[in-house]
Amino acid sequence: MVRKLFLTLAAAASALAIGGVAWADITVLVPSGSEGDGLRAAAADYAKMKGTKVETVQAPYANVFEQGANAGATKSGVFDIVLMDDPWIPFFAENGHLEDLTPYFKKAGLEGPDNDFLSKSLAICRNPYNSGPYVCLPYVGNAQMFFYDAAKYKEAGVDAPKTWDDVLKASKKLTEDGGGRYFGYVFRGGQGNPVVADFMPIFWSYGADLFNADRSKVTIDTPEGAAAMKTFMALRDVSPKGVESYNANEVGTALAAGTSASSINWPNWVATFEDPSQSKMVGKISYTAIPAGTKPGSSEIGHWTMGIMSASKNKQEAFDFMLWATSPEQIKISAERGNPPVRASVFTDPELTKQEKFRHYPVLMEAIQASTPRPRHPKWPEIENAFGIELSKAVAGTITPEEALKNSQAAVEQITGLK
Amino acid sequence: MLKSASDGTSTAQSQPGGGLERWAERHLRYLMLAPTVLILLALTIFPSLYMFYAAVHRISPNPDLPWEFVGAGNFARLLSDAQFHVALRNTIVFTVVAVTAEFLLGLGLALLLDKFIRRLTFLKTVLMIPMMLPPIAVAITWKLIYEPQFGVLNEIMYRLGLPLQAWAGDVNLAMFSIIVADVWQWTPFIFLLMLAGLASLPVEPYEAAALDGASSWRQFWDLTIPFLKPVIAIALLLRVMDALRLFDLVFILTGGGPADRTKVLSLYIYQVAYRFADPGYAAAISLFVLFVTIVLSTWFMKRMRLAD
Repeated sequence: MVRKLFLTLAAAASALAIGGVAWADITVLVPSGSEGDGLRAAAADYAKMKGTKVETVQAPYANVFEQGANAGATKSGVFDIVLMDDPWIPFFAENGHLEDLTPYFKKAGLEGPDNDFLSKSLAICRNPYNSGPYVCLPYVGNAQMFFYDAAKYKEAGVDAPKTWDDVLKASKKLTEDGGGRYFGYVFRGGQGNPVVADFMPIFWSYGADLFNADRSKVTIDTPEGAAAMKTFMALRDVSPKGVESYNANEVGTALAAGTSASSINWPNWVATFEDPSQSKMVGKISYTAIPAGTKPGSSEIGHWTMGIMSASKNKQEAFDFMLWATSPEQIKISAERGNPPVRASVFTDPELTKQEKFRHYPVLMEAIQASTPRPRHPKWPEIENAFGIELSKAVAGTITPEEALKNSQAAVEQITGLK
Repeated sequence: MLKSASDGTSTAQSQPGGGLERWAERHLRYLMLAPTVLILLALTIFPSLYMFYAAVHRISPNPDLPWEFVGAGNFARLLSDAQFHVALRNTIVFTVVAVTAEFLLGLGLALLLDKFIRRLTFLKTVLMIPMMLPPIAVAITWKLIYEPQFGVLNEIMYRLGLPLQAWAGDVNLAMFSIIVADVWQWTPFIFLLMLAGLASLPVEPYEAAALDGASSWRQFWDLTIPFLKPVIAIALLLRVMDALRLFDLVFILTGGGPADRTKVLSLYIYQVAYRFADPGYAAAISLFVLFVTIVLSTWFMKRMRLAD
């Protein structure tokens, strides 16, 4: 009884919170920034063309997860579609918040999403990963790339970094010569999501991972993990003081201001680096794949995907909009609005690739195809938090790298109940 | 008898159709109070009771799974939760250091302005500004000040030939940096209360003390502090209660890091409830904080004899 009363009140509160959009045919929860802006613009186009009113509710990154999870847990139905960061998919799907898209594809006379989507982009939209039914469609094709100042690297004796040893060699030299005002490398060391996001590609490039293949065992504290940690600590030593609190903004600013020579970052920073009003490094930053360790390098995939909420009362309308928004024509328009695409035809479209601002597309497409998803686990936010605390401690030097691996292993085992 | 004649009830009885008026007079107070009571019930009483209810359940983020009654289980988890212990320790350190610094600075400034530069009302207004700013704006401003590479603080350090610091990113400086920002924002609050307290002090005891040859220091200890005691108690009580709920500065400046050095209870409750989707446990931690706040306030009020 009390629970029902609470759910009703929560639903009423959520409805009030988006009171201004209650008259819309479809309501979409989107993040602030270029991803949300792009979808909002698409929604306006859709309303004009199809007559279906699509309203977007924008929220900061972390709040999108919270509002989506809250709407799912209370079955409020305030959002028909949620734009999700891909590591959230298992949480939403395995807690019954997302609609299985199979019947909607069938009704539309389709087997599923077409083959023009990149295979890695489609794999994350299935739950379980790459094998289960589709629970969302990919919309923004993020995968990390390695950004570096080619001229500075050349000065330091490295032409194009292929391995982490190359990066360390150039970075050491540049930091030593920088006199405390210029650094060879910079990374996101902020506790939680930032430090984990920048450590994972290094972790994978030494053959390490958080879990074994069938997710039955935690595998953090291993010789491969130790090798990755050793490189990470060496990179910390050539990075600016204070990276312990850095997030994407600080890293992007350091590269755009030309105070750091290299980093891992997301492709949406390309627009900033090439904008003379925001960057001193226009035309000077090169893009390449994640360097190799003992194994080939792999980017962390970070796609934005669209899923239909189970509690939605406008599911068919929502599906129709998603199918339209992820069509080749719309993904191309989205790319022109600043969002990396998820379709091969857009990545290779000569109209785009001949433009300077899309010169990173071949590298990005390769990065997505060689990417790895963050471990697909419904408790990923909690796992990421625990791992992020131990990594933060190692970066700050309050515990040894060995202790960080050992503690992370124990913490993730406790969270997941695995041994 | 005369009083009775002028009584509203008697007047109502003497008029035709007085039944409705009589009813209105009897019940009007309840009608007037009803909106407030309803708002209080909806926004305070119900959520508080619901928090108790949630705290004794394990709540799955899956709405189709029933809530599992765990009794005191969520409270028992507090004993073995290392992250909770870290957050509790950090909250205590922050509260003690920040509130002490704010009190000493606020009182000192109030004495200074009250005694020596009383006429500078402009200065008083300027000193109030930090308190009036939204916490999120304060947090973002200090984030920019502390920024290691481009922040103004390190630029000053550089020009003075001093070593650059990571401020919010250094394990040894992060909590200090948050305390400095909080002291900057909330010292004016203590200052304002103290200034009001000083303005209400009686003049006669001071004149008598001066005639007896008491030094300024003696007058401060034996007159000012005892007279200000109720104001001091209220100021400290409000600041301690507020410091226990610190969130904005930590969320923006450090996110609880580095190395968990600035994780405070409010941030941990937020993480547990919204990031880890475990509202039952978050409710239990919230109740713990509520319990500590009530115990602390009651003890403090008794100690300062405010409860009387």
